[in-house]
Amino acid sequence: MDKKFKLMKGNEAIAEAALRAGCRFYAGYPITPQSEILEYMSANMSQRGGVFIQGESEIASMSMLWGAAACGERVMTSSSGPGYDLKQEGISYLSSYNLPAVIIDVMRYGVGDGEITEGQDSYWLATRGGGHGDSRQIVLTPASVQECADLTYLAFDLAEKYRTVVILLSDGGISQLIEKATMPEAKEHDRSKFDWAIKGSKKAEETKVKVTNLDRSMDYDEYDQMMRDKFVSMHENEQRWENFMTGDAELILVAYGISSRICKSAVRRAREEGIRLGLIRPISAWPFPEKGFQNLPEGLKGLVTVEMSLTSQLGLDIRMATKFQTPLYGYLTTKYVPTTQGIVDYCKNVLAGNCKELEVY
Amino acid sequence: MAKTYKKPEMIGQQVGWCPGCGHGIIQRLIAECCEELGMAEKTIQVVDIACAYWSIDTLNCDGIAGPHGRCAAVATGIKNVYPDSNVYVHAGDGCSYVIGLAETCYAAQRNVPITMIVVNNGVFGMTGGQMCAATTLVGDKTVSSKAGRDADVAGEPFDMLNVIKSYNIAYAARGALYDPKHIDAVKRMLKKGFENQRDKKGFSIIEILSPCPTNWKLSPVDAMKKIKEENEKVFPLKVYVDNGGEING
Repeated sequence: MDKKFKLMKGNEAIAEAALRAGCRFYAGYPITPQSEILEYMSANMSQRGGVFIQGESEIASMSMLWGAAACGERVMTSSSGPGYDLKQEGISYLSSYNLPAVIIDVMRYGVGDGEITEGQDSYWLATRGGGHGDSRQIVLTPASVQECADLTYLAFDLAEKYRTVVILLSDGGISQLIEKATMPEAKEHDRSKFDWAIKGSKKAEETKVKVTNLDRSMDYDEYDQMMRDKFVSMHENEQRWENFMTGDAELILVAYGISSRICKSAVRRAREEGIRLGLIRPISAWPFPEKGFQNLPEGLKGLVTVEMSLTSQLGLDIRMATKFQTPLYGYLTTKYVPTTQGIVDYCKNVLAGNCKELEVY
Repeated sequence: MAKTYKKPEMIGQQVGWCPGCGHGIIQRLIAECCEELGMAEKTIQVVDIACAYWSIDTLNCDGIAGPHGRCAAVATGIKNVYPDSNVYVHAGDGCSYVIGLAETCYAAQRNVPITMIVVNNGVFGMTGGQMCAATTLVGDKTVSSKAGRDADVAGEPFDMLNVIKSYNIAYAARGALYDPKHIDAVKRMLKKGFENQRDKKGFSIIEILSPCPTNWKLSPVDAMKKIKEENEKVFPLKVYVDNGGEING
């Protein structure tokens, strides 16, 4: 066994991996269940030579991020539920000038104030939000403490590769989980390498950058085309998912984050009883891993989305990925973490023909 | 022999401000101060998405325009990444005192060593001259207070420097643009703000009473007269805080 592992909380793994990825600017505002990220940054950022600011609001924190990202720094903020709503203004601005940034959304259940415990009903806001205007952000969904670290680390590289906002869509379950994880190697980031970034000093004859609502180094139509090409490229190249025992499956579960962990137990338990369950686990929520649904096994009787939501949010993406051709059922557990037996029993009912297909709307 | 005035090198092109607008004077003063202090190459401008926005293309320095009202927070981000650069905010009263009041106050509360320049022209200029809750005088007519600002409905204008001076900051002052003498005074205030930044003294805020003839529906001359006779009575011209030492130059 790798002796380098540590016992960590998901939120701590996110923060530590960000620092190791070279994140040197964090601004945020407390909200449960993500506050450990802010607390970890407050304790550790200055030792790594970075800047930590506890902002007066999520909105102000995002604006500080906009300033630091424009300087080419590796930047991050984190929030949850109603706090994440307030990030939308900043996400739209960051997206307009193609500034790289990593934003952590630790989902909590419910509308309005909702609950402070885990939920998966902010999927649409993360994958279809991003504030006003037509933009896309890469959305990654960790399902373990190890993935909290690995996907955060990856998020910074993807953010820079595409000059985009990358959202790590965790949930209260995964972020509060404590399990072993191996941290990625620490690396330094060179903010001076970008020609699009604000510099601390410039000679009169040097070209100046004007960071604003669109990249002014090109004309409007060229900008639109560049943005569209970028979204196409991200959609084509950044689909990530895991297949778990899908090869011979008669019914395939679809789940991410906390629900996907229970689904793995359910697949194993069902197979002990001779029911051939499988799981497709999206690791990227945008782009949704449509490619994972292209070669579904012969004899598949249907898909079952397992989500902690009131009405299915993942379901619409699954319907589109399967072009509305494959029967889809929903096991939706709202604020309750699904149980292994609950999933297995629901699947038995599906196979017995007792369940109606999921309506998406 | 008469002194010859030259356009500052930092000003690279024409701007789109309305005739008689005070923003252009302020921009020239900013450019003159940065050049006279030898700080032009280190200057980064933060402008609001409103009338100050015209400055982003005009001044030959790196610039950023953030979400409306968030200038002080954007500048906080930049100044923390580049502590040795000269980061200033050029924004209006709506940005700084209304939608972005929290951002302005908390830049002061953290004593972030930036220079914040607030243009008090009593209206939302870029959007067509609506009432500004912080600065429109009681009785002043705007497109969103057509009968004149009613204090019973919209409250009264408020001297925000009375609040901001309570924070532990380097400098807070208010000037006006209605005659050359006062323009010179504003320039000295701005210079003080940049010097404080150079000397790492802390947060400096300079509010400037500035005319908006277009939205006030006055001639440029009458607009200047209104500042002197009306606005200055509510917004006194003075230095509120000076913890930065002697004015140099």
